[in-house]
Amino acid sequence: MRQYNSMRRLTSLLFLAGLGLLLAAILQRLNFGQPPMIVGDAINAAAPAQVGAANLVTSVVLAYRGFDTLLELTILFTAATAAGLALGREPGDRLADPEAGPIVRAGADLFFPLLLVVGLYIIFHGHLTPGGGFQGGVILAAAFFMPQLARPASRLEHRMTTLIEGLAGATFILIGLLALFEGEAFLTPLLGVGTLGTLLSAGTLPMLYLAVGLKVGAELAGLLASLAEMGAEE
Amino acid sequence: MNNLILLVVLPLITAFLLPVIDRFSTLAARWSGPLVLLITTFIGASAWLQLGTGAVSLELGGFRPPLGIVLYVDQLALLFAIAVSFGTLLLWPYGNRGGLRQQTLTLLLAGSGSGLALSGDLFNIYVFYELVAVVSYGLAVSLRTPAAFAAAIRYLIISGFGAALSLAGIALIYDATGTLNLAQLAQLAPEKLNDLQGLSAFVLLLIGIGVKAELFPVNTWVPEIYATAPKRVSALLAGLVSKLAVVVILRLLVLIFPQPEAHTLLLVLGILGVLTGELAAWRARDLPRVLAYSSIGQLGIVFIAFSVPGEAGVFAGLAMALHHLLIKPALFLLAERWDGSLAGLTGAAKASPLGAALFVLFSLSLLGIPPLPGFWAKLLVLTSLAQMGAALYYTGAVVIMLGMVLEANYLFRIIARMYQKAPSTGTPPGHGRLDLAISSMLGAGLIAAVFLLAPLADRLQGIAAQTVDVNQYIEAVNPVPTRNPI
Amino acid sequence: MDMGTLMFAGALGLMLIGTAALVLSGHLMRMVFGLALLESGASLLLVLTGYRSGASAPIILDGVVPASMVDPVPQALVLTAIVIALGVQALALGLVLRVHRAYGTFEMREIRRRMERDICDQAGLELPSSNEVPEPYPGSPKPQQGEY
Repeated sequence: MRQYNSMRRLTSLLFLAGLGLLLAAILQRLNFGQPPMIVGDAINAAAPAQVGAANLVTSVVLAYRGFDTLLELTILFTAATAAGLALGREPGDRLADPEAGPIVRAGADLFFPLLLVVGLYIIFHGHLTPGGGFQGGVILAAAFFMPQLARPASRLEHRMTTLIEGLAGATFILIGLLALFEGEAFLTPLLGVGTLGTLLSAGTLPMLYLAVGLKVGAELAGLLASLAEMGAEE
Repeated sequence: MNNLILLVVLPLITAFLLPVIDRFSTLAARWSGPLVLLITTFIGASAWLQLGTGAVSLELGGFRPPLGIVLYVDQLALLFAIAVSFGTLLLWPYGNRGGLRQQTLTLLLAGSGSGLALSGDLFNIYVFYELVAVVSYGLAVSLRTPAAFAAAIRYLIISGFGAALSLAGIALIYDATGTLNLAQLAQLAPEKLNDLQGLSAFVLLLIGIGVKAELFPVNTWVPEIYATAPKRVSALLAGLVSKLAVVVILRLLVLIFPQPEAHTLLLVLGILGVLTGELAAWRARDLPRVLAYSSIGQLGIVFIAFSVPGEAGVFAGLAMALHHLLIKPALFLLAERWDGSLAGLTGAAKASPLGAALFVLFSLSLLGIPPLPGFWAKLLVLTSLAQMGAALYYTGAVVIMLGMVLEANYLFRIIARMYQKAPSTGTPPGHGRLDLAISSMLGAGLIAAVFLLAPLADRLQGIAAQTVDVNQYIEAVNPVPTRNPI
Repeated sequence: MDMGTLMFAGALGLMLIGTAALVLSGHLMRMVFGLALLESGASLLLVLTGYRSGASAPIILDGVVPASMVDPVPQALVLTAIVIALGVQALALGLVLRVHRAYGTFEMREIRRRMERDICDQAGLELPSSNEVPEPYPGSPKPQQGEY
């Protein structure tokens, strides 16, 4: 058995050495600082007029590659569904960690409104400054998860999160389908581009980001709550 | 044609809303999934009639390629997209087996699978691929047994490793070319990816996507998952998901990596896959794992076929892949009640004569007995290999024939056992009505294919010719050259 | 060594460390962390491909378009890749919890052994006596419980 073990270790080391050599060979050839930027330059030139978001990364995330974003939301949804399938328990058996100390409890109460405001601010300014639906959504998830850390007995309302994630995801797709019914391609930005750099610009992009933020927030809060509930059973 | 996006987003939106619908009416939630899949199958089929032998690209978001994401619709992509919709409809968890979450996951599989077949953008393919992967982790733990959880986490680690490597491969390609559009990559590849960096990118992508395509050596998850998941899920993974990964590898090979080294690598891995798969299937002692290992062997033959450059190899490989797509789900459905040891199958033919007859039919086709379609598919592979005239390709042909000997041995062993006299300890159980009905349907399809062999072969040859036609792909997408290639 | 090589070496090095954790550790929790490192390395590699020397971030402030901007596409791609990795890791942790609950260990070899036994039990088979599924040899450290 020892022999088998050392054999295995040897193969693993050989594999690692091979991968290392491959990566080292690649390292020699990568060019740093002078990317070809065929698509990048074209987007940098066309996006302000075409999409109207001052943050060009947002133009890529929601307009040029909005379809990827829809799919990544779907992946989060799928992961949450699968985790629910794996972690889900029969109703009735409720176990919880003891309540946290007064500092954590007071901190959670204090931070909740603050995190909510910051999260929403970041979502609504995603098309102007760094940030957006994902970053804001994670902050929202933290806002809703913190009270649970402070008082594990008070469980997150799973019905609420499934409702929000379902409707937010459907809204994203419906905005995309709206363009399809107008005779355009799926996910074509609508409502014009507005004035570059103002809050009400970039057409449907802020709406999409709101849907993204709510969905990410609900999804992550649900995932964290499932994991915490599972951990509390031990 | 523009509404083909519905093949992807209609299942997705239904999956999102399923928990909401369920709150109002359980009955509506139960039937909305099959209804949507019926609709998408219909949309796909009507597009198939409309498409003919042409090819179109759909520009998502209305941006000209290569700026936005495009879906590329040709016969190959559409055929597999329809197969996904129809296949998930057949293998739907009817009778509320597994509840709402299973239905949600199956719908997500239908949407993401169609997208994987249709996508014409490298990173979009990665995202679709990850989506299919996460859906399959969820489906694999449906039974919630400890072994299923253990198999799923092992699968997740292998698959995540592959996904990270393919992400690195995409980074290498983007570093060299500055674009992700497959058509533009096809234009730039001969100049910019015909070097070590391009080849490394191919290796990384092949390892990544090979996990789902059951490619040697990243297929260790196959027997574990197929033994611990419900057989309906095994049928979906072995029948549909593995074929989608195969289609993606074929696309990348034809469009971006036509180097001879890439073909040689595929050939070697395919040969090893056939050898290890068939040997392990020969040694396995329960039906699910026999089927799992034989699936590895069959996909190895597909890769050997794709390693033959040009139309002949693609034709042969597609024939093998479609044949396997038809019969492996049927075999897994038959294994639903026969999942014990092979010894327990003694006398099974008496309890379920139709099931045993179907098993014989599928086994004979799997093995390649004329006049069943499996024979013609294997014949195509062997002749295309023989025409290459190189030692390694002859090795491939010899290994395939060796695999057939092993296959004959273990399949006939099982069949002989089934038709033996049942032991006094009781006969193995018969089949569920639904499983039997779907297997019979697939069996009828197989027999129909025997009679329609000539027109089917013509059509498939046309598809293969279109698939290897790189110029048609580039023209259909028509990426605007935004800057002269340096 | 110039800046670029250093950066790329960092990204590739992260990937190598992650892979080492995957193939060498044999501890489920460390393998999940290794996977996270590997993903991070690949994401870093991807975002580095968009860097252009001396260029600014692709954001238009007060209507002033910078003369030279970095590539916005890899940044968007990495955003997507990170969120995907996040979802996969959350699911992985859930599965790890489940497996630990069932088998009481994080050791991959032990988990695999128990899984094979479960599969064979269910199929009514005896465990194969090949070196595929080794028994833990005497003197090996006992699988640790409750480490995390």
